[in-house]
Amino acid sequence: MTAPPDDCLARNEWICGRYLSTRREILVDAVLQHLELTALSVAVALAIALPLAVLARRWVLAAGPVLALTTVLYTIPSLAMFSLLLPVYGLSSTLVVAGLVLYSLTLLVRNILAGLRAVPEETRQAARGMGYGPIRLLLTVELPLALPAAMAGLRIATVSAVSLATVGAIVGFGGLGNLIYSGMNTYFKAQVLTASVLCVVVAVLADLLLLGVQRLLTPWTRAVRS
Amino acid sequence: MSAVRTAHHGSRTRHTRGSRTWRTRRGVLAAVAVALLAAGCGSGPSLENRGEVTAPPGDSKHLVVGSAGFTESDLLAQMYALLLDEAGYGTEILSVANRELYEPALESGQIDVVPEYAATFADWLNAKANGADAEPVGSPDLATTMKALRGLAAPRGLTVLDAGRAVDQNAFAVAASYAREHRLRTLSDLGRSGLKVRLAAGDECVRRPYCEPGLKKVYGIDVTGVDPKGVGTTQAKKAVQSGQDQMVLTTTTDATLDEFGLVLLADDKHLQNADHIVPVVNRSRAGSKGVAAALARLNTVLTTKDLATLNREVDSWRRLPEAVAKRYLQDKGLL
Repeated sequence: MTAPPDDCLARNEWICGRYLSTRREILVDAVLQHLELTALSVAVALAIALPLAVLARRWVLAAGPVLALTTVLYTIPSLAMFSLLLPVYGLSSTLVVAGLVLYSLTLLVRNILAGLRAVPEETRQAARGMGYGPIRLLLTVELPLALPAAMAGLRIATVSAVSLATVGAIVGFGGLGNLIYSGMNTYFKAQVLTASVLCVVVAVLADLLLLGVQRLLTPWTRAVRS
Repeated sequence: MSAVRTAHHGSRTRHTRGSRTWRTRRGVLAAVAVALLAAGCGSGPSLENRGEVTAPPGDSKHLVVGSAGFTESDLLAQMYALLLDEAGYGTEILSVANRELYEPALESGQIDVVPEYAATFADWLNAKANGADAEPVGSPDLATTMKALRGLAAPRGLTVLDAGRAVDQNAFAVAASYAREHRLRTLSDLGRSGLKVRLAAGDECVRRPYCEPGLKKVYGIDVTGVDPKGVGTTQAKKAVQSGQDQMVLTTTTDATLDEFGLVLLADDKHLQNADHIVPVVNRSRAGSKGVAAALARLNTVLTTKDLATLNREVDSWRRLPEAVAKRYLQDKGLL
């Protein structure tokens, strides 16, 4: 039997340069898939959550069911979620995105709703007094004032989507999760560590990016502080 | 994350997983979720879609090769893909966690070719068709097993190609020190020793004739319990290494046993079934002679020993399955 090659891969070291050099393409593909899954699911979730939150704000009766439903969705274990969506979407990245969208809904709806509810009644009355209609009131007064709370929700939703996307590995679409999953099976230290670190880096960068966006969108919050 | 823990991390996900607990408990809640999303998205392939069963053998030029996500399955999938590429097909590989996920995809044509294990797959299909308590159809005899397997696969639109020389049977390993101490070489030795044995295996082991029931009945081994750590997983082997469990269910092509200080006990009474490696294809997409001929080239070449060596290169030396598969096929003059 041939002797094992003497490199950090064969020695199974946690940090291994040869792992990075031989798997560069695989790592890049995994990161791109991870970003794609996360960005797409958070974008779709936001598009669904925004009208739901506005609806729940306008009709008090809708608030209970909307919050209850999205919270119930959040309690479904991720493995179960993907397995249950399987008959609908088959083995595809859509399956993972759909699961992540459902998880993001709770965080987004709750936070957007909290933001909308926090808009002072006097502010709304002042706007109405100036002749603002309901649509204009929503778009130019309520939503901007709800932005800080909504952005907080968006940041949490994004970071949790980054971590939950890894579970997509069970259907072969988990981005970095694919690497973590296969690395765990074979006790491949360099792979598990590298993919996990990349996952954390993606989450932190996404959070910082959204923080930057929030600061750009809400210059008044800083003006008040200074 | 508890979700990840319950995932079957088996380097061999060849066995039915017990996943009923959440299914029943969360079923109602999840039905709501599914209904919510299903509205307007009903075009996805259905688990129950058997529409293509009667279709004639097809010859799609772009084929998806499925892998069950463990090393050997990855290697075989890579070899299949390379051989199909060589025969002029376009291929891609999709790695899925377990059979519960890829078998329906194979029936619906989302996956076209999968490396399987004759007896294990026959029993799995049998359980799916006739219920979990059905009499097992896999046997230690290859011809009997293949006949049963083809009979079960055909109605599902699946064609089982010919088996090769490589066999990946279930096998039981104990710590080398434990074997020395109690003078164990075979499973019969273990039965005679009267030692109490906690077995690290998949949770299905308690029901499978080749596993706990067989060990008790055929070998008289005193199995006190099954530790559901998966088949041949790192966790399972570590549990035996540390003495938490005494024996682990793994396979004949496992080349990492040395690393964990484990040795196989011989199956001297032939409890294990004919788990020869067979390619299974979706008939309506890959049922052609071209696919069969391309994959058959591996049958006379690949041996159990070769497969163990290749597994070792991936598992212990951490080479890329793709590169290992390619080099092997080149060495054997198949590419």
